[in-house]
Amino acid sequence: MDEWKYKPAGDQGLEPTASFRSLKREVGLIASMTQAAWRVAVRAYLRGYHRLRVEGVEHIPLKPPFVMIANHSSHLDVLTLGAALPWRLRRSAFPIAAGDVFFETPAVSAFSAMMLNALPMWRKRCGSHAMQELRDRLIGDPAIYLLFPEGSRSRDGAMGRFKPGLGMMIAGAPVPVVPCWIDGAFHAFRPESKLPRPMPIRLRIGPPLVFADVANERAGWQDIAARLEAAVAALRAPQQP
Amino acid sequence: MIFGMHPVTFWIAVSIAAVLGITPLIFLLLEKAGKLPPALRMDVWTRYQSWLVLAPLMVVPLIAGRLPAILAVGVLAGLCYREFARATGLFRHHLVSATVGLGGLLITFAIADHWYGFFMALSSLTTSAIVIFSLFADEPKGYIQRVALGIFAFVMFGLCLGHFSYFANDRLGPAIQLSILVCVSLNDIFAYCTGKAFGRRKLSPNTSPNKTIGGALGAAVLTTALFATLGHFVFRGTALDSPIHLITLGLLLSLTGQWGDLVMSSIKRDLGIKDMAATIPGHGGLLDRFDSLIFVGPSLFHYIGYFLGVGLDQPARVFTGH
Repeated sequence: MDEWKYKPAGDQGLEPTASFRSLKREVGLIASMTQAAWRVAVRAYLRGYHRLRVEGVEHIPLKPPFVMIANHSSHLDVLTLGAALPWRLRRSAFPIAAGDVFFETPAVSAFSAMMLNALPMWRKRCGSHAMQELRDRLIGDPAIYLLFPEGSRSRDGAMGRFKPGLGMMIAGAPVPVVPCWIDGAFHAFRPESKLPRPMPIRLRIGPPLVFADVANERAGWQDIAARLEAAVAALRAPQQP
Repeated sequence: MIFGMHPVTFWIAVSIAAVLGITPLIFLLLEKAGKLPPALRMDVWTRYQSWLVLAPLMVVPLIAGRLPAILAVGVLAGLCYREFARATGLFRHHLVSATVGLGGLLITFAIADHWYGFFMALSSLTTSAIVIFSLFADEPKGYIQRVALGIFAFVMFGLCLGHFSYFANDRLGPAIQLSILVCVSLNDIFAYCTGKAFGRRKLSPNTSPNKTIGGALGAAVLTTALFATLGHFVFRGTALDSPIHLITLGLLLSLTGQWGDLVMSSIKRDLGIKDMAATIPGHGGLLDRFDSLIFVGPSLFHYIGYFLGVGLDQPARVFTGH
């Protein structure tokens, strides 16, 4: 028989809002049901309203840990990446969301946690401690992170420079990073728009990259950021047959 | 009857309201007299505010009628399960949680229906279901642990709290339930106070180092006296209105109450955590508050049931009857 390995939830003993904001938050039956319902609704919405098309699903690794990254120009981006994941991986997937937007108030935090299963990244005070915590969880859980290395939504639709922070999570670890390109989300739901418009969205998924041999230090992180930026940009123009 | 309530129900509700009304005045007087250090001040006010919310949430459904009482205890049991599952790690196994949850819903339905046969049947049916449904994950590693935790939880929050809930089907239900709640809460306080005054020998140093034999005995004496007094008014004119029965009931309540407390201490110590959750500010989790209620239900229910029956003169199978 196994040793008794059960341990309390990572966010055990935290008050509700603190628990929603915790990087150690774990999902129980109720949140897993609300997230499943949200997922079904979002997929139906993206397919129906935005005629979402996904190319390259075969590049998604079969099991966690891995990271999906993409260009970022719309709130629809994270929904699109999540919708591309197969159903059986849904419970491992965590969008990494800006703390100052998605975890500002208790109500919004509850939505981000109970529906999106998002984990917060605090852009202004994101210390190496938080990055290490995210890295530990990605590998230890193991988990799937959905994130946007530009750090914030593009205001003009053009892709910005990738920040090296992502490197801190994956440098020197055998964690595949799946580059994706999202087309159309910017026009469908611009940062300044109030409501999304029924424009088509297309998601192109590229072959994963692994950075197990890259040193986990500043130069390595910058190298990773540059290579991933190139990989995502390369998906922008589809290869002609 | 006072305002349609049993006199005991009425006077307990009034007393709780009075205590909640007077407490802030006492705090203010103590503050004025400089007898409340600032560190303690925040703590007592947080605790008081929590009681101000918690007490009406407990008392109002119990006196509001049969269904509100049963639903409220059902919600309480669900929240207690959530805390237990998150603290023990059982929550990671959704299949077990779903089965325990289903069992809890059916128990609540059986009680609301006043269908004693189904209520009793659910103990074997749900425990079997937990054992069987856990197979469907096809994950033999940790099977025994999952099943054991699931049954443990269902017995405590489904069956035991269910017995407390079932009193709502009796004519004397609200009076019995409120008397139990008051005595269980005071049981803790009696143990604390008499333990401070007379306690020297530790009761169970490894499980709960602050508890003393003096405190346990003191609580047993005081709680038995209190419950016997309340019980005399609740059971007036019935077979239970005799000193021997009332003292037995009081002793059962005090002992099962203290044991419930120790059970939760044991669980927390095993897990290495201080509180089961942070649901109620100043108190910790709901389970830290209601731990002593869990085992009182079945012991009093079956004692009263043996001599008087519970809800026998009330309509049974309210929803499923024909």
